[in-house]
Amino acid sequence: MTTSLLECERTARSDGLAAGLARALPATPADRLAPGRYAAVPAAAVPEGAEVRTHSLADREDIVFLACPCRPREERDAHELADFGRHLAAVRLGVLRSVLDHVVEHLSNRTSGDEPLIRKQLIAGAIGDVMAAVERLRAQVRSQRHPAAVADVHRELDELGWRVAQHLGASGFLATSPARSLYVSALVAGTWVDREPEGEPA
Amino acid sequence: MIELSDRVRAVRDLSREAAADLRSRALAIDVDPDAMEEHYNSPVFEMVRLADTPPQYRESLPSTPLLRAMERGSCLENVAGLIELARGDVGAILACPSPGLAGVFVELLGTPEQQEWFFTRMHGGRRWSFFAMTEESRGNDATAMETRFDRDGEGWRLNGGKCYVGNAARGSVGVVFGRTGRGALSIRAALVEVPAAGWHGEKLDMIGLRGAYISRLSFSDVAIPAGRLLGDHLPVTRRGIFAAITTFNHMRVRIAASAVGTALAMVEYVLEHRKNAPGGQLALARAEAGRELVYEAAARIDGDPERGYLSSAAKLGAVGLAVGTAHWASAALGPAGLIEHPLLEKWTRDVHAFEFMEGTSNIHRLHVARGYQAGDADA
Repeated sequence: MTTSLLECERTARSDGLAAGLARALPATPADRLAPGRYAAVPAAAVPEGAEVRTHSLADREDIVFLACPCRPREERDAHELADFGRHLAAVRLGVLRSVLDHVVEHLSNRTSGDEPLIRKQLIAGAIGDVMAAVERLRAQVRSQRHPAAVADVHRELDELGWRVAQHLGASGFLATSPARSLYVSALVAGTWVDREPEGEPA
Repeated sequence: MIELSDRVRAVRDLSREAAADLRSRALAIDVDPDAMEEHYNSPVFEMVRLADTPPQYRESLPSTPLLRAMERGSCLENVAGLIELARGDVGAILACPSPGLAGVFVELLGTPEQQEWFFTRMHGGRRWSFFAMTEESRGNDATAMETRFDRDGEGWRLNGGKCYVGNAARGSVGVVFGRTGRGALSIRAALVEVPAAGWHGEKLDMIGLRGAYISRLSFSDVAIPAGRLLGDHLPVTRRGIFAAITTFNHMRVRIAASAVGTALAMVEYVLEHRKNAPGGQLALARAEAGRELVYEAAARIDGDPERGYLSSAAKLGAVGLAVGTAHWASAALGPAGLIEHPLLEKWTRDVHAFEFMEGTSNIHRLHVARGYQAGDADA
């Protein structure tokens, strides 16, 4: 990945979703760039007096949803939006890696039949599948700029996040669990990435 | 295709009508599951409570077509109704003060005196029950549970803890599993009424399905009087956890029904707000096929309650269906669609809970594989 994409991933992995999002956001104001009526932004970046919606889980990630004018598709800067979508995907990959680190620790400490779960073939294979998908998505983020390819990465990240969270069982459904950031990162992407872009990669 | 009888169709249709009441309460319960006063008058709550109660222990209430339709019947009848109620809202169903799963066990393992003790305490619709089996460090490996019943004269002392138990922190009466010794047959269930000295419950802060009031419990020398252990009147092999295999098979289909009902709700919600949403008809077809599988699994349980192959396959498939539908629905209403549609957003959180209820997907993968090898796929 480019240095910038790598920095987004590393920041999100080490410092969390809001820090990654802050690094990824372009200079263009969010309310000018966003494709919908709301755009997820770090709470610290909201202009004074701006209208926002909050969400109980996003609050804990220091993220709010800024009201935006919802410009028609033809008025949006598709190129800039897709480029931000790539950086946001890198942020989500960092969040995913962070939760996966937690999952591996969790599964190393839980046993079944006196054997750590992480050593079970079913589990180890699933972790291998996740990382293979991460490497593939990183390559797609690095090399593909078409909005359809970017939307495709985010769809896959929705699914991959679920596959990671499943390993935490009920503990991954606690609002205090690191897996919360997977849910919120999908919510964030849902405000920025148009999943039905026009056209296909040439 | 499973042909539904007139009776099952009647239950399904009446439950479909009742779902609107649950849906109207869904967001309020999600925001504040402690504020239940305003929901006690729900006619659906009353229906669920009575359906969970054996007829001889029911309180006397005016009979309505809905209540008559909810007479206790087959697994198929049960899930046909539940899918429709889940199209209203599963969180609201689970918030209902009712005998629930604890009632199923009391009916299975309790003496008539124990059943009367338990079910009459649920009268009035203001008290919750709990079914405390799962432990935090053991997940669904119930045979490895560490909670103990220690002998204390004629009775017992309960020590240990449970986790991820619905309605437990606000429950008044329920069933707690523990062991009286080391062997698997020593795992027993006891009736417990709270408040009780040494009992502590706390609501857990969950991502979704907040109406279920998922809780953690800890026990320190909680007194269990003589006569509260379930199954003393039964043979040793029928007293404890192994007596309940058929019930778990049934409950798995109920979770699958909840997942399919929620998937249907999400698809219908999206199509109501965006008639030609891309992928909408495919999502609907998948959800309807999921419903068909749940019907088939329920019919199989009615035919042979001990064979759980299809109930595991249905649960595994239904959870994947519901989560996949949630991912589709998240994008289907356009950028920021979930922020503008809080009910849809709530369902996209709720569906993740079905994963760990009545066995995780990995557990069911193993069940399905074993069932296949045993020839159950061709039975």
